[in-house]
Amino acid sequence: MKPLNLLALLVFLAGLTWALTRSERSVREIQATYYRAISPFLTVGSSLEARARAFLDEVEHSKLLEAEVGAMRDDYGRLKLIESQFRKVEEENAALRRALDFQERTRFEVVAARVTRRQPTTWWQTVEIDRGEASGIATAYTVVTDQGLVGKIDRLGDQRSTVLLLTDEACQVSAKVEGSPEVGILQGQREQFGGVPTLRLRFLSRDARLREGMRVFSTGRGGLFPADLLLGEIDRLEPGPLASEALVRPSVDFQNLGTVFVLTPQKEES
Amino acid sequence: MIRYTASLILLVLLAVILQQFIPAFTPLFGSRLMLVVLVFLCAASTVSAPVMLLLAFLCGFLADAENALATQAGDPEVYTRPVESLRFGYSIALYAVMGYLMQGIQPLFRQGKWQFSALLSGIAVFLYLLVEYLLINFVRGGFSFTRWTFLRIAFSSGITMLLSPVVFWLLFQLADRSQYRIRFDGLKRRTRTPAY
Repeated sequence: MKPLNLLALLVFLAGLTWALTRSERSVREIQATYYRAISPFLTVGSSLEARARAFLDEVEHSKLLEAEVGAMRDDYGRLKLIESQFRKVEEENAALRRALDFQERTRFEVVAARVTRRQPTTWWQTVEIDRGEASGIATAYTVVTDQGLVGKIDRLGDQRSTVLLLTDEACQVSAKVEGSPEVGILQGQREQFGGVPTLRLRFLSRDARLREGMRVFSTGRGGLFPADLLLGEIDRLEPGPLASEALVRPSVDFQNLGTVFVLTPQKEES
Repeated sequence: MIRYTASLILLVLLAVILQQFIPAFTPLFGSRLMLVVLVFLCAASTVSAPVMLLLAFLCGFLADAENALATQAGDPEVYTRPVESLRFGYSIALYAVMGYLMQGIQPLFRQGKWQFSALLSGIAVFLYLLVEYLLINFVRGGFSFTRWTFLRIAFSSGITMLLSPVVFWLLFQLADRSQYRIRFDGLKRRTRTPAY
């Protein structure tokens, strides 16, 4: 081997060792810097894409869009009314809890975000959304839709972030089954293609009695996800010698994710 | 040489940005065109080992900056078996191995037989994805390799390989403009020695 090649290889190995020994925090900083650097290009690209799509939609479906906007306005008004009622009830609830000296339930604000990119990586089940640190989002924040839990924020940029979906093997949720004492850990399964992905609920008791269609919710334990978020429904129980497992159909339609909501941290009550 | 190397680095950065706008081909088992990998593999055929290693470091570093997952930081009493993820930096090593693979048939490339390098780029992408998937299986346990996984890897390699002639053409243009000589022994006119 030529001396120059050998020297280059040694320098490369030193660089590789440096990269492999980065701490979690350093990696997060590197990723944040990377996202910041490419963010302007992505924003320009996304806005061009959005404009083009909006233009085509407008040309092709202007009447349909008009009807949809009308319907959305109606829905918006109705939801505003419901929200105001909900706030009143929530305030009343909080006041009653305070009066009873109960621990106050965690409250969240939500940030709406649009899914801008699906499956940006080869092996991980992720999507990208158009909200980031600038919108008050941080790593590990919970992402939901009206159907249930979507996942959690994994990588973060100023104007965009990546959501690790519930269907990914790395996304674990402490879960409970409605109408039964069973609790377990729900997670996605490796390499599922086509159709509706199924989740696996593990560490159930050996003689778990679960029926198809029973709903699965988050327990709120473990500090990752808030309690009582709908995760899915039991599809099938697989009894085992030591512990049972169940296959769960997710409540969220992951094929058609459009708008999602990021739960930002609880508000401090005065 | 320096101008060509600098232009290769710029080409890699451009590929990183373009990659963001290339969607996965859902009907083809979620396969994707791996533009950054392709640019690196083609470039690796045209440069010396030190420059290849520099590009491998850059591409691997950027790939991991984009793809590395965070470790789940839940309560260990609840999440007793957290799912491991690939360590930041593994792609750098994979890129270097692929780069050496491409340099293995560099003599053929220098003879003008770029078709072999194009074919090898497809094989290298296949091996890259296969090793990456096997590593995931290794760190997470529970080996599974389905037909869908194989097809996803195969289609990704095939789609990526199809674009390699375009990337090679681009590299030749860059080499011309930066006055870097990618030697083509095969295209040289052979001079016959007169027999006395």
